[in-house]
Amino acid sequence: MKKIFCDIKKCIGCSACEIACAIEHSKSKKINEAIKEIPLPIKRRKAQAVDKGITISTGCHHCEDAPCVTACMSGAMYKDKKTGETKHDEDRCVGCWMCVMTCPFGALTRQKQDKIVVKCDLCPDRDTPACVEACPTEALFIGTEKEFEEKLCKSR
Amino acid sequence: MQIAIIGCSAAGISAIEAIRSKDKKSRITVISDEKRPLYSRCLISYLLAGTIDEKTIWYRPDGFFKQNKVDAVLGAKATKIDTEKKEIFFERVRLGGRVEKLKFDKLLIATGASPKLEKIPGVDKKGVFPLRTIGHTQEIQSMLGRVKKAAVLGGGLIGLRAAYALKNRGKEVSVFVRSPQILSQIIDEGSASMMQKHIEKKGINIVTGRSAKEISGKDSVSGIILDDGSKYDCELVIIGKGVSANIDLAKAAGIKTNWGIVVDEFLRTSDKNIFAAGDVAESFDVALEENSINAIWPVACEQGRLAALNMLGNEERYDGTLAMNSLEFFGLPVISIGITKPKKDIYEEIVRTDAEKNIYKKIVLRNNVIVGAIALNSVDTIGIFGALIKNKVDITPIKDIILEDYFDYGKIVNLIKGAKYGFKEKEFKETIMTL
Ligand SMILES: Cc1cc2nc3c(=O)[nH]c(=O)nc-3n(C[C@H](O)[C@H](O)[C@H](O)COP(=O)(O)OP(=O)(O)OC[C@H]3O[C@@H](n4cnc5c(N)ncnc54)[C@H](O)[C@@H]3O)c2cc1C
Repeated sequence: MKKIFCDIKKCIGCSACEIACAIEHSKSKKINEAIKEIPLPIKRRKAQAVDKGITISTGCHHCEDAPCVTACMSGAMYKDKKTGETKHDEDRCVGCWMCVMTCPFGALTRQKQDKIVVKCDLCPDRDTPACVEACPTEALFIGTEKEFEEKLCKSR
Repeated sequence: MQIAIIGCSAAGISAIEAIRSKDKKSRITVISDEKRPLYSRCLISYLLAGTIDEKTIWYRPDGFFKQNKVDAVLGAKATKIDTEKKEIFFERVRLGGRVEKLKFDKLLIATGASPKLEKIPGVDKKGVFPLRTIGHTQEIQSMLGRVKKAAVLGGGLIGLRAAYALKNRGKEVSVFVRSPQILSQIIDEGSASMMQKHIEKKGINIVTGRSAKEISGKDSVSGIILDDGSKYDCELVIIGKGVSANIDLAKAAGIKTNWGIVVDEFLRTSDKNIFAAGDVAESFDVALEENSINAIWPVACEQGRLAALNMLGNEERYDGTLAMNSLEFFGLPVISIGITKPKKDIYEEIVRTDAEKNIYKKIVLRNNVIVGAIALNSVDTIGIFGALIKNKVDITPIKDIILEDYFDYGKIVNLIKGAKYGFKEKEFKETIMTL
């Protein structure tokens, strides 16, 4: 399936992905208005420090045997049978945090005001996800695992 | 092939979906003594609380059986399994208990668990309920109009959820807990006392170290008598004293049972054609390193799925169960995984508390491998601990930062790279590939 990958060697931890993600998931999709929204738009991708000078941008890995889907007790978290994407139906979410409990990447975020969880949706309204487009070093990549491997091979 | 499934909740439903993802032809017959089983058991307290509507509780659509080509025998209780002839006998409750039988090639027992009832005088009075089925919720709801005060016996997950629900419905609620702390099966004393204070502040009365010795009243409940002789008047009593596995059917058939039905790493019972999954199954626990029952939803779903695949002739190995629970009361969340109250001194515990932010975090280690964790009010990255537990990673290099607020996936990247046996989940490969 197509999903977002991060090349740690290229990531500089600038957080451009975080900001782009939050704006894309705001009501207005504009930064000057997004920062005034209540609740504040939530980023679903995080730039994280690994070691001195090493960073990674991480979010939902859309796992094949997704533990969050298995754990979801309300049927809100599910696999898209066609694309393999891990999707979340906010209307069904009851905020039990079972997905948070089982995500091996800590990639889910609690939206406390409405008591629902939010996650990477691969930006359904765009051709290229906002984070990938915003990444200044091309560390982020959207494609299949094979395509990502090929890209790595070429760049190394 | 004829596949039979007894029980149609988390484990049974998950099994049906797994079978149909691989096999469109085999006949599937599911026998359930609940007439409308396609609801999420975990949500019945939410329904009682009124925080979800009826619609949300049906977590699979009405057309589920038809879509998956399943013969659903609903409102029927399996009464006997003949392992030699490979037959199940079942009684149709609605048809006056008419007995029928079904032949099977492979059978999944997913009969779940039943609430333990207190053996005290008066438990049979009107107004005393366990909370296990949607039927219980509906019965409780129908009498709520007459209830001003309620007592909950038991301070575990279900007891507290019930108390929360009743409080949300405007009832005056007291919870009586035999142990010195609430949630004693799930979290340790330190985190439990923080949760207890929080719940009490929101108006639920909690009495620890006390149990009921009698339920009083004529036909209906009028109160309870506690073990110190004191009385508490109420019109409703909910009993949340844990569950026991529904093993009678299997036991009578000569299938190996202990606390639950004993299964191997393929979810197979002592009979090679019969599998078991969910609250009824006793399997290897990866943290305890011995057999155990973790009666929780994610375990039931995963076991149901793997048992189903193995019934189809695959050899899908089950890594083992792991206890985990997630709870939130009045905005304060707590999640626990694995061993949280170690009894032997081979375990090491690291605790970090932050009184100002009302945070409590703990990990339990055995030889520098995490075997358990608690996170109260700082829960977002606890799933990473779960992965470290399952993959038995030596966490020595990150021991001093693992409980900090800034801990996240980035901090285990180097561990993944160095892990002796690698990480089982294939998605971790994506990270290693780029290092
Ligand atoms: C109020 C409540 C809240 C919960 N909250 C959580 C939570 O937050 N997180 C979590 O992980 N877990 C939670 N659980 C536990 C979770 O619901 C169970 O672990 C899960 O339902 C187990 O699924 P199962 O399919 O193994 O068994 P069950 O759900 O017990 O289903 C077994 C089914 O088989 C039927 N059956 C039994 N014997 C027979 C027979 N002889 N013939 C025909 N049918 C039979 C039963 O009637 C039942 O319908 C909660 C449970 C309750 C009651």
